[in-house]
Amino acid sequence: MSDNRIEGYSRALFEIARAEGTIDEVEDELFRFARSYENSDELRNALTDDQIPAARRQSIIEDLLGGKATSTTTQLVSMVVGSGRARDLPAIIDKLVARASSAKNLEVAEVRTAVALTADQQARLQAALVNATGKQVNLKVVVDPSVIGGVVATVGDTVIDGSVRTRIDQLKSRL
Amino acid sequence: MNVLGIIANTGRVLSEEVVVDTDGNVTTHSWFLPETAEIIWGGLASLIIFYALYKFGWPQMKKSFEARTARIQKELDDAAADTSSAASEAAGIRQAKGDIEAERSRIMADAKAQAEVILTDGRARLVTEVAELEARSEADIAAARGRVGDELRAEISRLSSAAVDHVVSGSLDDATQQELIENFIARVGVQS
Repeated sequence: MSDNRIEGYSRALFEIARAEGTIDEVEDELFRFARSYENSDELRNALTDDQIPAARRQSIIEDLLGGKATSTTTQLVSMVVGSGRARDLPAIIDKLVARASSAKNLEVAEVRTAVALTADQQARLQAALVNATGKQVNLKVVVDPSVIGGVVATVGDTVIDGSVRTRIDQLKSRL
Repeated sequence: MNVLGIIANTGRVLSEEVVVDTDGNVTTHSWFLPETAEIIWGGLASLIIFYALYKFGWPQMKKSFEARTARIQKELDDAAADTSSAASEAAGIRQAKGDIEAERSRIMADAKAQAEVILTDGRARLVTEVAELEARSEADIAAARGRVGDELRAEISRLSSAAVDHVVSGSLDDATQQELIENFIARVGVQS
């Protein structure tokens, strides 16, 4: 999909969520859905299989998100999947998150950890990242077992890597 | 009896004449010679015959002899020519044989020289090929050694990596995870 089309979809989703007045919630839910989508081959294959009718793919979304996410989030994802753009969901959502953060003068800070962070840890980490980057950040936490331990934080082009995964990779390189 | 006696007796015998006795028996005057007239007529007839033979038979005989002589001479000449031709042919054959021998010798010499060249080339090529094969084999052995070494190193690295993953993952309990997160927050917090 071209960047223009991704941009167009993300802007449309953003405007809908903002019009509904649930932009913060929708943005967070979409972000987490995008990460789940990236990490699940089964989900990705199901939603991008052209042999499966669009209605069936949309029903998968509704089964998956129904009751767990806002109806706006479910409808937006369903709309994208129904229009055959499921492959670009992560890119569209990332653009939407960036747009939402930008609207609040925030920079998206994607934090990957092996275990979930407590609210207190998230708050302290957000403060630490503000201090380290000099930017107000919109913290997005992704639980990623491949990190093994520690934290990887990405703020714009800056990557602060304190993961065990990276240290093991360095050790392997030396081996 | 001496010679004179013999001649005298012969003359007496020749001079005897034919006498017919009363019984009609004829007795010649000589037991050997015919009558004189018969001698004369016989002599004349003989002369005529000899003359006729000489006149008419002799040229034919002479011609026949000459023809025979010519034929024999021709045959002799032909034989001589054949002999000469045979000798010439024999000389030619001998020369050809000599030429063949020379050609055979030349061909044999050429073949021997070519065989020698081919043998020399073959030996040289064989030596080169053996050298190339040896070099290639050595290169293959070196490559195989290097490949095995690389594979061994890669396998050791893979096993080490797997061992590291296993050991590290197994040693990261919840407390350690929390400690890593807290350390990260603390470290990032002091950066500016």
